[in-house]
Amino acid sequence: MKTFAAIDVGSFELSMKIFEISAKMGMREIDHIMHHIDLGMDTYATGKISYGRVDELCRYLNEYTQIMKSYKASEYKAYGTSAIRETENTAIILDQVQQRTGIRIEVISNLEQRFLDYKAIAFKGGAFNQLIEKGTAIVDIGGGSIQLSLFDKDTLISTQNLRLGVLRIRDYLNHLDVGRAQYGMLIGELVDSQLAVFRKLYLKEKQITNIIVVDDYISHLMQKKFVSGETAGQVEVEAFHQFMRQLQEKTPQELTHAFDMPEESVILLYISYLLLSRIIAVMDAKQLWAPGVTLCDGIAYEYAEKNKIILPNHNFEQDIIACTQNISKRYRGSRKRGETLEKIALTIYDSMKRIHGLGERDRLLLRIATLLHDCGKYISLVNLGECSYSIIMATEIIGLSHIEREIVANVVKYNHLEFEYYDDMGRQSMLDKESYLKIAKLTAILRVANGLDRSHKQKFKNVKTRLRENELVITVETNEDITLEKGMFNHRAEFFEEVYSVRPVIKQKRTL
Amino acid sequence: MGKDSDKQETGKFTDSKYYTNRELSWILFNKRVLSEARDKQIPLMERVKFLSITASNLDEFFMVRVAALKDMMNAGYTKPDIAGLKPVEQWELVNKATHELVNLQYSTYKRSLVPLLLSNGLRIIEQHEDLTAKEIEYVDRYFMENVYPVLTPMAVDSSRPFPLIRNKSLNIGALVKKKEGEEELEFATVQVPSVLPRIVPIPSEKKGEKVIILLEELVERNIDKLFLNYNIVCAYPFRIMRNADFTIEEDETEDLLKEIEKKLKKRQWGQAIRLEVESGIDRRLLKVIRDELQIKDEDIYQIDGPLDLTYLMKMCGLEGFGHLKESGYASPQPVPELSEDCDIFEEIRRHDILLHHPYQTFAPVVEFIRRAAKDPDVLAIKQTLYRVSGNSPIIAALALAAENGKQVSVLVELKARFDEENNIGWARMLEKAGCHVIYGLVGLKTHSKITLVVRKEEDGIRRYVHLGTGNYNDATAMLYTDVGMFTSSRPIGEDATAVFNMLSGYSEPRSWNKLALAPLWLKDKFLYLIARETGHAKAGRPAHIIAKMNALCDRDVIAALYEASAAGVKIELIIRGICCLKVGIPGISEHISVHSIVGNYLEHSRIFYFENDGASEIYCGSADWMPRNLERRVEILFPVEQPDLKEKVMHILEGELKDTVKSHVLKSNGTYEKVDKRGKPVYNSQLEFSLEAKEAARMSQTKVNERVFIPETHHQ
Repeated sequence: MKTFAAIDVGSFELSMKIFEISAKMGMREIDHIMHHIDLGMDTYATGKISYGRVDELCRYLNEYTQIMKSYKASEYKAYGTSAIRETENTAIILDQVQQRTGIRIEVISNLEQRFLDYKAIAFKGGAFNQLIEKGTAIVDIGGGSIQLSLFDKDTLISTQNLRLGVLRIRDYLNHLDVGRAQYGMLIGELVDSQLAVFRKLYLKEKQITNIIVVDDYISHLMQKKFVSGETAGQVEVEAFHQFMRQLQEKTPQELTHAFDMPEESVILLYISYLLLSRIIAVMDAKQLWAPGVTLCDGIAYEYAEKNKIILPNHNFEQDIIACTQNISKRYRGSRKRGETLEKIALTIYDSMKRIHGLGERDRLLLRIATLLHDCGKYISLVNLGECSYSIIMATEIIGLSHIEREIVANVVKYNHLEFEYYDDMGRQSMLDKESYLKIAKLTAILRVANGLDRSHKQKFKNVKTRLRENELVITVETNEDITLEKGMFNHRAEFFEEVYSVRPVIKQKRTL
Repeated sequence: MGKDSDKQETGKFTDSKYYTNRELSWILFNKRVLSEARDKQIPLMERVKFLSITASNLDEFFMVRVAALKDMMNAGYTKPDIAGLKPVEQWELVNKATHELVNLQYSTYKRSLVPLLLSNGLRIIEQHEDLTAKEIEYVDRYFMENVYPVLTPMAVDSSRPFPLIRNKSLNIGALVKKKEGEEELEFATVQVPSVLPRIVPIPSEKKGEKVIILLEELVERNIDKLFLNYNIVCAYPFRIMRNADFTIEEDETEDLLKEIEKKLKKRQWGQAIRLEVESGIDRRLLKVIRDELQIKDEDIYQIDGPLDLTYLMKMCGLEGFGHLKESGYASPQPVPELSEDCDIFEEIRRHDILLHHPYQTFAPVVEFIRRAAKDPDVLAIKQTLYRVSGNSPIIAALALAAENGKQVSVLVELKARFDEENNIGWARMLEKAGCHVIYGLVGLKTHSKITLVVRKEEDGIRRYVHLGTGNYNDATAMLYTDVGMFTSSRPIGEDATAVFNMLSGYSEPRSWNKLALAPLWLKDKFLYLIARETGHAKAGRPAHIIAKMNALCDRDVIAALYEASAAGVKIELIIRGICCLKVGIPGISEHISVHSIVGNYLEHSRIFYFENDGASEIYCGSADWMPRNLERRVEILFPVEQPDLKEKVMHILEGELKDTVKSHVLKSNGTYEKVDKRGKPVYNSQLEFSLEAKEAARMSQTKVNERVFIPETHHQ
């Protein structure tokens, strides 16, 4: 059994959950400590986290360390989200915190954060698997933004970020200095235009029956069964609206009392509700589920999964691939060609395993690169490399960290452009050497695969590879003329040989 | 029914004419204690003890409650209280009642107790003038050897200001005249030293008789030795009481600890609110003291007897009078579920365990912490401490745990009335041992009694919790009736962790499982539980509330009880002290009865029973139904859910309601009377509980013995 501490250095709360994790018993939360600390206020207003706040952060992290020790927690993960990410002096603050507390905070992107939330939801198992059999959306309402994720037949297919978080909207409304009565109308105006775009681009004709809500306010009511069906956290949309309409007649003071909520949260609850009801309207959903998960749950789950203590009950890789396929589709990528390329590239990758020494995760990155290898052509056929790179860097791919996304973008870029060596590449980005090597290795494979399908006609029915001393023999099964491919191949093979010291050789096998 | 008529409906129940002033109700409580001192059924030394208790109760009442009234009057505050009385009106009534109470105290002392003590072989020499020549020889020598060296006589004249007379100290005031020179009278005073025993035994000439005299008599007798250049005109004892109800401004001070230390010193300097003098005091002397202290005539108590009867507590401890003490009550008994050599954690895992003190021993609670301190699997111990005994074994165990590397967090409430000095001392000691000490919460007094032991076991973390209605004080646990519960229930364990997280300054949890906490949730919970019974009654279902506590004076709760009674809920209250509720008001409180038990032990547990249409719920906790408990303190209410434990707690309530010996009943005219015994079996609930505990312990002891194989000695 492992005792693990998950720390979420959030924008307004520093929270830590202690878990006991074992294969037999799963994950058990044994403590949940929260402290309100407004890191976000500093970052958003001034761009920097003030000395006083850092001091407060360190003081509490030191106390958290004591609590971790008291439970004999063997490992921890601390993730910083937008307040840390967006501050100008991130590196300095992280270093300071580590020096003073020993806690290493890792910064995660919005999408990584949402993916962890999502993993935490998926870990809830039963209810989740049941829901996503029908059209389902996850509405993850944060302080700064909302993440909308759509499922199609139990696979996550797209995810979009709207800058419409509750705190952001509250600040905006405060700025306008309007009464609560006008909130509904104003939020409608703010939100509906963005939702209309979302609908047109992503939702289309999809039928969304269920909405899974992740937030700090509505979830609270549903988890505590103030409003819920038979199972805590689940409720019919109709009943939910009815309940919320009753609330509108009450004063914030009354609600504070009724829900054991600070008055400040009551306003945020109200905004959260108004946002959610616009989204419900756009999707025409029937059922709500608030699983009441937090980022800490996701962090712990990720840890348990990585360390193979808990086996995933949902195929997250499939989600990532499905999302990527959707991105490719949006940029008019050819599905067939993508699949051919994927097949060839993976075949090569697998046979080179002994030599490249890369892992499962890198194989996934290669898959994504093949799927997105030509997305830039949507903009320009000439500047394919640069355009593809830009598109990938500007698109959120759920499940990928920022660095992973950059690896994919670079692999796609250098598939088309001359490879740049570390000194040159490093000048433009923060990539470390390890990532650079990954880019080189994956690029080499993609280039060869791409060369084998130069005509985009998917001429090869079957590709087999065999590694023989210094040669990688690629046997292609086709009766068609492959002069073009063979011609291109030599050029592309050079880079492969440079990276791996293995020469790829193409052999044609005709079938009858 | 619309909202307005609803409001009228509740307005009906909050009318001030339905409420009793809390100070007057408190005086009634002290009278009930005094009635024990006057009860001929009770052994003599116990009666002496009860009289002493009424005296120390009254001292505290003056320092806190009367002082508060004075403050309000000084500040021109005129807001009426729960019973519609303005501070001035309250004070007038209280003043009259306290004078009556004091008269009753001293008539009890002089007419009943002193003669009875004499006939039982204890002679109190009330005035030094009554000493025999032989006795005089002894006491004068005693005075010169022991008393004289520690006295600080002070005279007042134009060059020396009036000295500080310390709060609650006993003093001898005198008028003196210079032996040479002017005729003018001067004031002189000397404090009767509090470091010396008040009771001075004198060798007796008669066999089997004990003779004592009070220290102040010796000082008074020898006062001429203190003011050698003066002639003593007259000398009389006097004692003053000062305002002590300070509120600590937590927000304004950096270091709470220092502030309290500062206040402690300041406490001596408060405004004088009561002056006690011996009756027959020289009028000129009284005038000097009165003018200097700026005290009104109404605040002067002319006492026919020794000032400050709290010395009687020491007298109960005199050797040789054991036969005059209560002996019917068994000493605290072992708890059958927790045999001496058991693994306490294993027993708690198996079953929740209820402790009923002082009938059952408090030792398992100390043992719980002691074992936890030594157990290698224990990770952490967390506890709230409010008042602990000096030399507390709990403190020692906590310190040991910290030394053994456990994480020990202790919330020490420094704001416990009059105990600060004591608390600061051991709080520092705990810190030195490596405990994490939290000094209370800003603006709130932590009154809850909870201990959490976190243990790492084979299948993960397990939490053991002790919840109680009484303080973690092994000394008072032998005198106060309290209920405690051990449990390893997971929902309660999670809540307990959340409680300590909150007390450590972290955010409140998103939700609670089982525990209800003041000041955030508890009052609402009670109002909800009461209203639920009202609902049952209105729907024609049986509805019943039994609530036992120390004091009831929260207006909202009382109004809810009135509403419940009006709806037909049967309400039985067992309230030891203050009760602002009135019984027998037609249409308002006809279904409410109030019992008050003043017995051998101090009733202290808080237990609440709600019938809930057959699905009854029982709660215990640290909170009374007082605004200060429900709104300004951290309190915990916990459910007792295990059926056999519920039965035990129910038995406590039923037993106390059955009491015909120690129980007083509140009448509709606002007075308390002893239960009418006619037609009822004699039942002393405290004595019964004591006997039951003894029997239960004996039974479990026999069971253990039965396991032993007894060899046959006779061949049949």
